[in-house]
This record gives sequence, structure tokens and C-alpha cells, in this order.
Amino acid sequence: MQALLISDQEYLTKTYQSLNDLTGKFLRQKGFETELLELNTENLTFCMGCFGCWVKKPGECVINDQMAQINRSVMNSDVVIYLSPIVFGQFSPTIKNVIDRGLPNMLPFFETRPDGSTMHPPRYDTYPTQIIIGYGDNISDEDAQLFIDITKKHRRNVEVLIYQELTDNIIKALDTMELRRVGGLL
Amino acid sequence: MKNVVLVSASPKIKEQSVSKEFLEMVGSQIDSDQFSKTFIDVRKSFLTHNLTDDFDTLARADVIIFSFPLYYFCLPGILTRFLVDYHNYVIASGNIKNHVKIYAIVNCGFPEPEINLEAVRVIKSFSQHLNAEFRFGVLIGGGAMMVAAQKAPFMKKAVQKLRSAFSSLAADIQHENSTAKDSFYIDFNFRFSRRLYYFMGSRGWITMARKNGLKTKDLYKKPYRLNE
Repeated sequence: MQALLISDQEYLTKTYQSLNDLTGKFLRQKGFETELLELNTENLTFCMGCFGCWVKKPGECVINDQMAQINRSVMNSDVVIYLSPIVFGQFSPTIKNVIDRGLPNMLPFFETRPDGSTMHPPRYDTYPTQIIIGYGDNISDEDAQLFIDITKKHRRNVEVLIYQELTDNIIKALDTMELRRVGGLL
Repeated sequence: MKNVVLVSASPKIKEQSVSKEFLEMVGSQIDSDQFSKTFIDVRKSFLTHNLTDDFDTLARADVIIFSFPLYYFCLPGILTRFLVDYHNYVIASGNIKNHVKIYAIVNCGFPEPEINLEAVRVIKSFSQHLNAEFRFGVLIGGGAMMVAAQKAPFMKKAVQKLRSAFSSLAADIQHENSTAKDSFYIDFNFRFSRRLYYFMGSRGWITMARKNGLKTKDLYKKPYRLNE
């Protein structure tokens, strides 16, 4: 079983180190072969909104940088965990870049989600279980809730957890999740 | 004279963006006799390494209006980077005015404007971190179509609603002590024609792919899972 951890070199705080240690240890104990990608702003350029990943080279970003390898690793993992600082209630710039540039893994068309909103359909039959863990010190309740809402209100196939204190509560939460490939729920 | 800075943050490099179009629409409604207007394009700011000058301009602003497309239910990475770097600049320099008003115009390709709400909340959080006053957002569904088909009869009501929201924004920046105001939600009553909207969207993608020499089935390629 393959697990991928994606994090941001720009925010290697004590809280991050603790979270990374806990998560890595948990995954190894569960029998996962784990790869850690600590990315920085130089690794990835910004999405340029060209939609080349849909209409020029479907399924692949047309920008020639590390993102092609990241998308390949994501799509061939059983579990992907994003460790993201919470910044203005959202992801850090580098983690947001990784998320934006995951667009090739979706199709361009429209489908209706169970709540009636619109979403792009999945390109693949199965996806890794995806978990986003937001971390930070002195995160306001409002920012923490926003961080959860950004994903949970709009995507059924991604879990979100918040890590603020140096406790192992995050492991208890991870332990309740099924860590395997799943269908592309909208 | 007060400074209004209008920031467009579409990641697009070559094409004129929908976000910029909306920003120009709202800019045209702001009284030039009362306000000095400066436009910043975040993509150009990065491309031309003009960040410090643009941050200086932002720090002198009395009013900041952000216009951007929704990316994965929040801000595009390029705008996230811009805001984080600007926040760091403000912390380091202490260079910011008091009583700054901030607005957000967010558009998405999905027809439902309410999908943009979390992006507006991020701009509100950013405003709070700057001790600025977040006023309200204009949330636009089907943004690209709103611009491309703005003269079509079926868009008439939506375009009127949009112009009215931008007029309210232009009026709001003039009031010293404005009371709280709700955000504006703009769509074109697609609910009776959702299938048509989806159909037109699909046709558009297929047409673009064909222009690039692809067949319809190529759009469904699975390069990273060849056995699925």
C-alpha cells in the first residue's frame, strides 16, 4: 500500500514537525510505504488557466515542472495526505498550487452533485483516499471553520482535519477512516 | 483624493480575463472626480517582478477591490501567493493606512453563484488580518457566459442585476460610515435551463479540443491509470 504526504517547506514550524512525525509514524504502523514531498515555491509554477490539461493534452498539465510527477504519484497512491498551513482560512500558496494543478485529474464537463450544485466529473474510476490536515498556531475558530467548509461543503471525496495542539487526536481521527482507493464521488 | 486600487487576479497569461472585464465594469462606475483609480494585474505583477511597487500602491489604498475566478472553491494559487506576500510586506514595513475598505468580486464557471461564498470568506479573513474593513462580495455564477453573452436577450436581467450590484459597490465606497451590507448573488436563472447550460459547456470543450487536433474520445484519456 502506497501513501503520499504533501507538505510545504515554507511553513516547517514545530507544529508541522509534530504533525508530520505523528502522521508518518501512523502510516508506517498501518503498513504503508510512505513518500514525503516537502514542496517549496520554486518547485511549482502557478496554474495559467489555459485548460490545456483538458483540450490539448487531456489528463496532463502542459507546464513542464514537478507537477506531472506529483499528479502521477497522487493517482497511483492509496492514500494522499496534504499537510497545509491554514492561511486566511485557506491553504498556503504552495499547497493551493498543488490543488489547483490537480485539475487534469478531472474531466471538463459538468455534472450535478447530490446537493444540487455543479461539479466537474472524475476522469478516473478510482482515486486515493484524500485527507487534508490544516495546521497552525492560534488559528481562530472562524478561520478553522472556513478551512473545513472550503472542502467539505463542495467535495464528498476529501476529508479535512485540523491540527492545532500537540496531541495525538489526529491519529484517533485518522484511525476511523478507510485508507484505500475509492470511487470518484462528486 | 482617495485611492481605489482594483486588483484582477486571473491566472490567465495571454487572454483577456473575465475577472478583468468585471473589474473594468465596476471601475467605470466609480467617480473619477472623487477617486484616483489604479489597476493591478496580479499575473503581470509576477511576470514583470513588479511586486514591491504594487505592494506600495496597495498600501496607499483607501479602497481595494479584488476580482478573481474561483479555483477549487477558493482563491487561485497565484492570488493566494500575492496576498500572503503582501501581508508579509505590511507586517515587515508597517506601511498601511487605517480604515481601508475591501470588496471581493468572484466569478465561477459553474452556474451557481453561492459556490463562490467560501472565496469571499477568505478575502474577509485576509481583511481581518490586515485590520481592514471587509464590506461585501459580488458572487457571480456562469461568469464567462455572463461576459460572452451579455447582449443576448436571455441575459438581460442578469446583466441588469450585475450592473446594479456594481453601482451599489461604487456608491458604498463613498460613504464614510457605511452600515453592514449583504453580498450580491448574480446568476441568469439557469435553473430552468441547466441541461442547456451543461450541453453548451460540453460543446465548447469538444470544439476547443478538435481545434487542437483531438477527437472527442481523447478528452477522456487516463494517462496515469492506463488499465482503468
